[in-house]
Amino acid sequence: MLWYKSWRDTRWRFFVGLGVLMLSGVSVVLIYPRVLALVPLVPSSDVGGEVGRRIREIAQLSREFRGYIWAQWFHQNVRQEWTVVSALLGTGGLVAQGSTGALFTLSLPVSRNRLVAVRAAAGLAELLVIAVAAALLLPIIAPAVGERYAVVDALAHAVCMFAAGAVFFSLACLLSTSFDDPWRPLLIAVVAAAVLAMCETVLRDLQPYSVFAVMSGDVYFRTGHLPWVGIVASAAVSASLLLVATVNLARRDF
Amino acid sequence: MADAPVVEMVDLHKRYGATEALRGLTLHVPAGSIFGFLGRNGAGKTTTIKILLGMVRPSAGRATVFGLAADAASGSVEIRRRTAFVSDEKDLYDSMTVAEIIRFTAGFFPRWRDDLEQRYLRKFELPPDRKVKALSRGMRTKLALLLSLSRGAELLVLDEPTAGLDPAMTEEVLQALVGHAAREGMTIFFSSHQITEVEQIADAVAIIDRGRTVVSGALDDLRENFRRVQLVFDGEAPAAAFEAPGITRVRRAGRMLTVLSTAGAEPILDRARALHAVSMDVVPVTLKEIFLESVTTEE
Repeated sequence: MLWYKSWRDTRWRFFVGLGVLMLSGVSVVLIYPRVLALVPLVPSSDVGGEVGRRIREIAQLSREFRGYIWAQWFHQNVRQEWTVVSALLGTGGLVAQGSTGALFTLSLPVSRNRLVAVRAAAGLAELLVIAVAAALLLPIIAPAVGERYAVVDALAHAVCMFAAGAVFFSLACLLSTSFDDPWRPLLIAVVAAAVLAMCETVLRDLQPYSVFAVMSGDVYFRTGHLPWVGIVASAAVSASLLLVATVNLARRDF
Repeated sequence: MADAPVVEMVDLHKRYGATEALRGLTLHVPAGSIFGFLGRNGAGKTTTIKILLGMVRPSAGRATVFGLAADAASGSVEIRRRTAFVSDEKDLYDSMTVAEIIRFTAGFFPRWRDDLEQRYLRKFELPPDRKVKALSRGMRTKLALLLSLSRGAELLVLDEPTAGLDPAMTEEVLQALVGHAAREGMTIFFSSHQITEVEQIADAVAIIDRGRTVVSGALDDLRENFRRVQLVFDGEAPAAAFEAPGITRVRRAGRMLTVLSTAGAEPILDRARALHAVSMDVVPVTLKEIFLESVTTEE
């Protein structure tokens, strides 16, 4: 029954997240012919520096559909959208319920550890479904623009998205055991993600170890191998955050 | 009424930062009793109830329900399996319908009573398809009661069950509780600051003030033993001479001394005679007077 309750509490955020990611994926695929038409113009661009390098790199990658999808979606859109969706799914829970059912939940014969576990498991399951569904949409609609996208690639990127997204989900879960509204955990998690992204930009040597590198599947795109170290590290960080959330909730007075 | 206590609290303390909500509360709730838990707003009633249900952890002291420690994780789950709770806010899931929250709650209690669920659905005229958030306060209270009474629980804990209800609805709720307790033989522990309703249904009471138990016992015993004795002396009234076990409050106003006793009037009268009191009046007290005497600060 706790699963049912968890689903009811998060279903609208789940549908919003699923909608945003799917819409984003569909848009990126459908505008590919127009992007492809612009690619030949890019080498003549005389924009220098980091921005010029990035534009030329994306243009180069966009000559192939797989490269375009990675550069435009997994490496760019997903980083922002997926971070927000993951954090959004992690917010809420017992503390944020306030006067709308928290005491009723606490009066049930269920331990607080189980409450956190079910909440986290249900949220992570939703996160996985969104990641897989959004990624699988790529091979399904690619034929609409005369292209093909491998299901294996889609699933591999979904795994990367899920592992990295779980970090922001768990961070929001932890923050939600301290704040009694859903907005501050979301805001703090998104600000933390922005700070991480800035660090990654400034300290380029750290890029391969960044959670965003795991999220966009850089290693998989370039080598064809899943970034197991990054995935395991993300899982470890996520598990640690959820453990702290469990301890935090167990100590809390209601 | 059996003597074994279902709820026991010994020297219970709870501190929220600089605020002491409970300061050595001691209480025993006998099995099968309807136990009224009286106190002013902020006296510590809700904190006490939350400690019993594992929602708040005590800072010190011991709280047990069915002999299980309320602050131990495993004990707390077992306590809640055997206990039903109605919060003062009638805290429920607003997004569910009446039927959904009944099914949801029933899933947690193997001893859920379908017969009682159906009986109270009819008795309270609850609309199964209506969302909880669309229910009036009275209907919400009735739904919270249905969810509690159908659990097959041995102990029902209610925090201000009639708060915000009109007199007719209050009467209906109280009658439902008394009828249920009589049929099912369960223990009811309910907090209130409505003295008349406690007097109406409780067979035992505790009055707490500033986090401490000031009066506790069977209501009939309290009525029997509580006496206010007004004494007048020739000179300054010797208040200190009356501070002894069984004396709840001693109030002095010049030559006059008012002594509230929980052990009858005789010991006070004996002492007053020995101290040459010029006037002695013994007055029986109501629960309201006991309450007011117990929670009024001595000037």
